[in-house]
Amino acid sequence: MSDLARQQSEFQHAILTGDDTILAEIPDSPREKRETLLGVYRYAYASRLVEAMRNDHKLLHVYLGDEMFDTMGHAYVAAHPSQHPNLRWFSGNLPDFLKSAEPYSKHPVLSDFASLEKALNDAFDAAEAPVIGIADMAAFAPEAWAGLTFRPHPSAQRLDLSTNAAAVWLALKADEEPPDPVSLVEPNRLLVWRQDVTPMFHQLSAEEAMMWDEAACGLTFGVLCSMLATYDDPDGAAARGANYLHGWVTAGLLTGVSAGA
Amino acid sequence: MNVASQTPVSPAAHLKQPVSDAKPPFLGFGLGLRAQHYDEILNGDPAIDWFEIISENYMIPGGQPLRILDRIRARYPVVMHGVSLSIASTAPPNFEYLASLRDLARRVEPKWISDHLCWTGVHGKNLHDLLPIPYTREALDHVVGRVQLVQDFLGRAIVLENVSTYVRFTNSEMTEWEFLSELSRRSGCFLLFDVNNVYVSAFNHGYDPMTFLEGIPADRVVQFHMAGHSHMDTHIVDTHDHPVCEDVWELYAAALKRFGWVSTIIERDDHIPPLDEIMVEVERTREIAHRVLPPMARHTG
Repeated sequence: MSDLARQQSEFQHAILTGDDTILAEIPDSPREKRETLLGVYRYAYASRLVEAMRNDHKLLHVYLGDEMFDTMGHAYVAAHPSQHPNLRWFSGNLPDFLKSAEPYSKHPVLSDFASLEKALNDAFDAAEAPVIGIADMAAFAPEAWAGLTFRPHPSAQRLDLSTNAAAVWLALKADEEPPDPVSLVEPNRLLVWRQDVTPMFHQLSAEEAMMWDEAACGLTFGVLCSMLATYDDPDGAAARGANYLHGWVTAGLLTGVSAGA
Repeated sequence: MNVASQTPVSPAAHLKQPVSDAKPPFLGFGLGLRAQHYDEILNGDPAIDWFEIISENYMIPGGQPLRILDRIRARYPVVMHGVSLSIASTAPPNFEYLASLRDLARRVEPKWISDHLCWTGVHGKNLHDLLPIPYTREALDHVVGRVQLVQDFLGRAIVLENVSTYVRFTNSEMTEWEFLSELSRRSGCFLLFDVNNVYVSAFNHGYDPMTFLEGIPADRVVQFHMAGHSHMDTHIVDTHDHPVCEDVWELYAAALKRFGWVSTIIERDDHIPPLDEIMVEVERTREIAHRVLPPMARHTG
C-alpha cells in the first residue's frame, strides 16, 4: 500500500470511528490544536449526512421532531455509511433500517412513512417518458381491446403499507394533527407516480391494485378482466377494468399501450 | 498539442482520443444555480452572465430539475461543478460516476467541467466531504495520473479547485500553491481559484494569502469562486452560509489584478437568500473587476 493510500485509510478511519492514529501526522495550527481541527471533519461528516436525510424526509422530520430525527439520523449514518458518490441516494436504505433497527422497528409506522417519502422522492426525479392519452386508447378497434398490453410510466411504484402511515403523512402535509399510528388488518395499497413534475400517490382497492400489478407484468386487458371477474360482479368486470384504465390514462400513469404480440 | 500528448503515462497513450486543451472563454459574472432561485430566474431576467451547476444535483434519471436545467442552459452559459470526482483518492476510479458525468455533459454542453483537488473516500465509502491531501511528490504523481485519465475519459481538460482545509500533514514536501501549479503544468488541467478557500486555508494554517495568490500561474486560472464562511476565532470553517466578508473582497481585487478578467461566481449553499439579495454580491464582483482592471477589450479569456 502506498503512503498516500495508508494515510487516506487512516484519515477516513479517524472520521468514521473516532480513532486518533492519524493525529500523529497532523501538526497543531498556529492558533488551534490538531484535535479540534480534525474535529471539524468529524462533525461535518455526520451533520452533512443527517442534513441530507432531513431534506429527503421532510415530513418524517416534522413527525419525529429535531432531537428524535437527528438521533435516528446519526444511527442510520453509523449503520449505513454512504457508498454512492451522489448524496441523492444516501437515505435510500432508511425504510429497511427503520423496519429492522430498534427502537424504530417497534413503531412500524416509521418504516412505512419513510417508504412513502422515498417513493415520492424517487418519483420526483424518475426517468422521463411520454404518457398516452384517451385518444391513443380510442384509436384501437373494440375487437383489439382484449389483446391490449400496457407499459407503466417509469415513475410509477406500488407500495403496500401495513399501517396508516399515509394518513399520518397527509395530515402532516396539511399541517394538521396526525392520527395515532395504527396497524391495519388489510394493507393500504398505494400507487405512487409523477404527474408532469409533481409526485402523487393514490390509494387503490384490492381489485385495482391486483389489476395494476398484473398489467405491469404484461397481462392483456382480456386476461385482466377475467381476473377482475373473480373479485366482484363478473358481468361488470370489463366495465370496471375500463374504468380503472381510464383513471390511469388520465393520471398519466401509462407510457405505452400496444395491441398483442 | 493535446493534453494527453504532453505527458503520456500509459502504454496505450497512442490509442487515446484527442483531449481538447483550449482555454475556456471568459464568461463574466455569474452565480451558483440553486433550486431556491429557479422561479425568479425563469420568470425574470436577472443580470447574471452565467450559471454554475452542482453536477451531482442533475445526475439523476429525469424530472423537474433536468427540465429546468434545460431551460436555463438555453438562456445562459452553464458550467458543471462537481463534488464527487474524488480526483486524489487512492481508491480505484469510479467509471460509473465518470460515465454519468459524461452523459450530463453531453446534455448540458458546459463551457467547462470542474471539481476539487481533494478526495471523498476510500474502501467503497463516500464521506461527501472535500478531504485534504498531503502535498507530496507521491500524491502529485498520483493526482496527475488521475487527472489525465479523467481528461481522456471526458475528452477535455478539466478544471480543479483549491479547497478549504483545516489540517495539514507533516509529510508535505511542498506548498499547496506549488502542488497546484505543478499539477496544472504536468496534467494540463486548468485551475478554479476559490478566493474564499485561499483566505480560509491561509488563516487556518497561518500564512499570507497573497503568497498563495502569487504562487499560482496566471495563465492557468479560468474561474474564481466567492463565498462566505464561519469564523470560529481560532479557525475558519468554509460554510458558504454567509455573505462574502470584506477581507475576501479585498483578496478578490488582488486576484483580479494578478489573474485579469476571470469568470467569477458567487457560491451560496446554506441560508440561501432571495435572488435580489444575492444579486448585490454578483454586481459587486462585476463592479470591482471594472474598477481594478483595464478595459474589457483586453480580456479574451
